[in-house]
Amino acid sequence: MATVECRGIRKVYGSVEVMHDFNLKIDDHEFVVFLGPSGCGKSTMLRMIAGLEEISSGDLLIGGQRMNDRDPGDRGIAMVFQNYALYPHMSVRENIVFGLERAGIAKGAINERLAPVVEALGLGIYLSRKPTELSGGQQQRVAIARAMIKTPEVFLFDEPLSNLDAKLRGSLRVEIARLHRDLKTTSIYVTHDQLEAMTLADKIVLMKDGRIEQMGTPEEIYQSPATLFAAGFIGTPNMNFMQLQALNGEIGDSGARFKAPFAIRPGPVTVGIRPGAFQLTDEGGGLRGRVERNEFHGETRLVTLRNNSHEISIAVPAATAIKEGDVVGIDVAAHELHLFDPETEKRLEVHKVA
Amino acid sequence: MKLSTLLLRLMLILAAAFVVLPLLWTLLNAFKTNADLLVSTPKLFFQPVWDNMSYVLNRRSVARALTNSLIICTSAVVLGAVLGIPAAYVIARFKNRLTAEAQFFVLSLRFLPPVAIAIPMLVIWLGLDLYDTRLSLIVTYLIVTTSITIWLSIPAFEGVSLHVEEAARVDGLGPYATFFRIALPIVRFQVFGAVAFSFVLVWNEFLLAMMLTTSKAKTLPIIASEMSQLGMNVPWGILNAAVVLLSLPPLILLGVMASGLNAAFSKKTDQG
Repeated sequence: MATVECRGIRKVYGSVEVMHDFNLKIDDHEFVVFLGPSGCGKSTMLRMIAGLEEISSGDLLIGGQRMNDRDPGDRGIAMVFQNYALYPHMSVRENIVFGLERAGIAKGAINERLAPVVEALGLGIYLSRKPTELSGGQQQRVAIARAMIKTPEVFLFDEPLSNLDAKLRGSLRVEIARLHRDLKTTSIYVTHDQLEAMTLADKIVLMKDGRIEQMGTPEEIYQSPATLFAAGFIGTPNMNFMQLQALNGEIGDSGARFKAPFAIRPGPVTVGIRPGAFQLTDEGGGLRGRVERNEFHGETRLVTLRNNSHEISIAVPAATAIKEGDVVGIDVAAHELHLFDPETEKRLEVHKVA
Repeated sequence: MKLSTLLLRLMLILAAAFVVLPLLWTLLNAFKTNADLLVSTPKLFFQPVWDNMSYVLNRRSVARALTNSLIICTSAVVLGAVLGIPAAYVIARFKNRLTAEAQFFVLSLRFLPPVAIAIPMLVIWLGLDLYDTRLSLIVTYLIVTTSITIWLSIPAFEGVSLHVEEAARVDGLGPYATFFRIALPIVRFQVFGAVAFSFVLVWNEFLLAMMLTTSKAKTLPIIASEMSQLGMNVPWGILNAAVVLLSLPPLILLGVMASGLNAAFSKKTDQG
């Protein structure tokens, strides 16, 4: 097991820089998730750590040693690919032990290591089959077994669940979490799915356009998103954003008015509020609007309110009696307001008050 | 059975008959005497004789041509595979200007009519004092076998998932091991098909062999064609026997290939 350190890593294709000065330190045993929309560079970064892409400049250290020029096989890593990437001409068993055989490990030792891995992933009955005879979920289990048996310093996962259907994705996600709890191997996991990121990660690295947008525990990123992008990307349903004016300890305009959570310089401000943070009120309220849409989501209802200047989604318990056309008011506790500078799109904090 | 199915079956049977009957006719005629052959109503039942076959097999020229054909074609095919399969892999995997040009060049070798190759080759081999040798024909046939092997193997290698090769690199394989242990085994049936096809092409090759040999290095198709010039009477029986003999190696190869392919496919349906 080992630490991973990226120091000023850049990736350049021709004259286009797709990764700008990437700095990251991953502790031993840590499970880090690279999260971001497609094209943000998360997979490229993972492939550079794996050694499948060349690093244009900067240093990559695994376990304190510089890895830039080492072959993927010599980096102490194991990787799980999105499309499984099993060897189609080998049986499941051969797929799992191939890496060890290449490394020249004795047959007896291989068999000893094979048994617990096969046990952990429930692959016993498939060992003699070919990958094409397995379902997607089973194939990905084999791929995880192939990575696990190598007892690598670092596990790399490149969107391992993206090709699976929703139900399998859920169960295999739980399995990956369980394996990490047992093995404690340092892991880097790339995904565009925020649910996977939130449930698996010790630390989320949120990326956009080849830069780290925010880094932190799932709670930190959810509770205090550092930028407008982070606020909008994390959380389902999406956060509501309003362009308002700050004045005299209040933030508002003709259609909405909220108490500022802290003293704030007068002027334009972007306010973000999660749909679940609202309370309904029959009279008064910071914002009043007509119910335009009322979607039943099972546990909750997602209600869309509209008035002359805003459209707001709010999540309320499903039992709430509400129907389209009703006019209702909503209130928000001051600490649930996320304030952003409309210019820089950065979060406004107490200590930044003018 | 529905009428449409019945009609389709009938058409298939008809098409198969078009292919099989002439071959069957040749096979039968190879074992007929001239008296049985030269009748106005073709005979299906006759006293088979081995005379034609033994005439063909016992001619020194046939034995030598058979040896020539086997050595020349096998060498050209094996060398073509050794050169062509790795070349196809490189062209499929490393896409750049150079490999694109190489791919087109290989195809362009097949654009030229064989005569256009034969004449300069004739001059070259005469100049090198290698005219009418097995070596000259092997090298000439390499053009055919290498280009066919490359051309038919490229799409096979392109079909191998890049991620599978990357997984192999993570498993510690270098480029050569990735080729031999991963890519080649995955596409083995397609590549074997390409190699077998190149064998059939050079085994049946006539024009180049005709122009580049006179006696020592003659191949079987040349000898078979000479059988028809034996005299005033066309020796139909002998001619048919020669054709049967000539057809056997490619047919055997095809049989081997078909059983290999069958094994590959039936394995999937067994447990899939």
